[in-house]
Amino acid sequence: MQRRSLLKLGLVSGAVLALAGGAAVLLQPGLVQGRLSPSARELFTSLGRAILQGTLPADAQARKRALAGMVERIDLLAANLPPTVQAELSQLLGLLCTAPGRLGLAGLVPAWQDASEAQVQAALDGMRFSTLALRQQAYQALHEIVGGAYFSDESAWPSVGYPGPMIL
Amino acid sequence: MSNFPDPIRAGLERGWKVLGGAHGALPEKITCDVAIVGSGAGAGITAELLTQAGLAVVIVEEGPLKSSSDFRQRESEAYPSLYQESASRKTADKAISILQGRCVGGSTTVNWTSSFRTPDTTLRFWQERLGLTDYSREGLAPYFEQAERRLHIAPWLTTPNENNALLQRGAQKLGIAASVIARNVKGCWNLGSCGMGCPTNAKQSMLVTTIPAALDKGATLLVETRAEHLVLGGGKVQALRCVAVQANGAPVVAGQVSTTIVARHFVLAGGAINSPAVLLRSKAPDPHARLGARTFLHPVVMSAAVLEQRVEGWAGAPQSIYTDHFMDTQPVDGPMGFKLEAPPLHPVIMATTMPGYGQPHADMLAKFPHTHVLLALLRDGFHPQAPGGQVKLRSDGSAVLDYPLTDFVMEGARRALLAMAEIQFASGAREVLPVHERSHPYTSWDTARSAIAALPMKPLLTKVVSAHVMGGCAMAATEAQGVVRADGGHWQIENLSVHDGSLFPTSVGANPQLSIYGIVNRLAQGLAQRLTGRAVALG
Repeated sequence: MQRRSLLKLGLVSGAVLALAGGAAVLLQPGLVQGRLSPSARELFTSLGRAILQGTLPADAQARKRALAGMVERIDLLAANLPPTVQAELSQLLGLLCTAPGRLGLAGLVPAWQDASEAQVQAALDGMRFSTLALRQQAYQALHEIVGGAYFSDESAWPSVGYPGPMIL
Repeated sequence: MSNFPDPIRAGLERGWKVLGGAHGALPEKITCDVAIVGSGAGAGITAELLTQAGLAVVIVEEGPLKSSSDFRQRESEAYPSLYQESASRKTADKAISILQGRCVGGSTTVNWTSSFRTPDTTLRFWQERLGLTDYSREGLAPYFEQAERRLHIAPWLTTPNENNALLQRGAQKLGIAASVIARNVKGCWNLGSCGMGCPTNAKQSMLVTTIPAALDKGATLLVETRAEHLVLGGGKVQALRCVAVQANGAPVVAGQVSTTIVARHFVLAGGAINSPAVLLRSKAPDPHARLGARTFLHPVVMSAAVLEQRVEGWAGAPQSIYTDHFMDTQPVDGPMGFKLEAPPLHPVIMATTMPGYGQPHADMLAKFPHTHVLLALLRDGFHPQAPGGQVKLRSDGSAVLDYPLTDFVMEGARRALLAMAEIQFASGAREVLPVHERSHPYTSWDTARSAIAALPMKPLLTKVVSAHVMGGCAMAATEAQGVVRADGGHWQIENLSVHDGSLFPTSVGANPQLSIYGIVNRLAQGLAQRLTGRAVALG
């Protein structure tokens, strides 16, 4: 158990380096020319399922469409971020899309697309309440991106009772 | 497309000189009397006054020129196009989210219209502790009056929306004085969409007032153009180098200067964080290490409440009621005081601000129409343990604010969460949620009080945001204390002034737009006098 904790810490230190711009070359970037890589898309689909559980449509087809729309909007959002923020996000997503990064940073064993909502939520809790700032920062970033992208579209507004702006 | 007249499109049709982006290529070199960096509160006032004095002015804005026809009251369009870093700007440790405008009109295009003169307590501190003897209430009053007239600033006499009425009722129940906020609006439709750009042109932002006035008098506006650095020589600014930027701020052509502006005088008014960053990139003299230091945020914490009745925080004028009770009842240099206001609520802001995920988050959001939110602006910069942050440059020259949230600041945040919860229960809240990762909705004031007392008030657990960036180019009575003199002129660089919120030597202790309008009004009149010998006043 102790050995495992040490390993984890080593990985997270590596992650700190990566985010600081050091070891980043070892990773597949999460953004390619400012757009989401295929694995980053899978990551956000999985995160969306877990974060938006209870808000997403109950019907399976409708839920799938809602998540796909959210991923498209995240892609647009990423393209509009300044280069330095894109680089940071790219490294974070790249790291989360590797098995060691997923385990070290998110504490998640199965691949994102295979993980259940409960498993992803447990991983999110681990980051959210971590004593390491890097893991907390990662949680905050993912929470903001998913929530922001999902609720920016009017298709999501009825779920929160927002009627939309007054038509002028 | 809205059915309202669009004064910007009309101006462009009349032949305003606007270049950059789709408006036309930037010339290699521009010569003028005064170059102004930025187009927000300080830049707008300065541009109107200097053009009135007959000076040839060039305004440089990094963001796009958007106007009422573009403002469709949608967060999905407003945040990416009108805000710095798509409204996701963060401090270095990512513990504070910063909302700052990046478009023609700057933050005035997207702010919530709250207008306060600089509080007397703040001015007294500047005079008595910092030696800024010109900054008296009486001395500034005529400049505030002019700005208020020019921008139609008056108390909001329409019935407050329910989100604000709740603050009024809760405060009243507890015997706390709450007052009406003055707003810079003319014929306001009471929509509540101020933060996404005013679709009716009622908000008297710089976008529809001073910038058009300056353009009508022949000023040139460069948009989607970033002021990269000043060329310094012989104690003066020789030129300003600018680059054309894409929508995300990346240069259109990497590493290439797009235009060079040569002027008699230069005014930095790109807002706190960006103005000090231009000076840092320019390697401006900074013998006393004051540049970028003492940058303030009015760190904000929030408390959400659920009411039995509908609140509809998206509808109606945002921030029309406030209380200064928690600033006025304690010394300015003691434990942090705070101002309470009730912000507008829209789905993206709501979903990203409310902590947690899954079913509990969904349950909270399902109550959105019944949700009321209060925010507390903490008054930083008056105590040694609230020294604000430091603007730094990343390796690519972009700016980042390092703002450590000290235990002293977080102690104020805890008192603010307590005060807001108490007011919310007094106003009839069924449940109150302090916005913190470790909190839960509490159903009584007693439970909330003990829970808040036990919350770990740590960065990244406590949600902290800011929409008021101030300081970093502080004006000072002596060279050792600041970056610019009391008249806005740079201590070491002869033909350079700073005319924006980065001037403030502490935070303001109130929403800063009117402080910038009033103080810059005086500074710009002085500058016009020095450059032309002519006396001008805000029209």
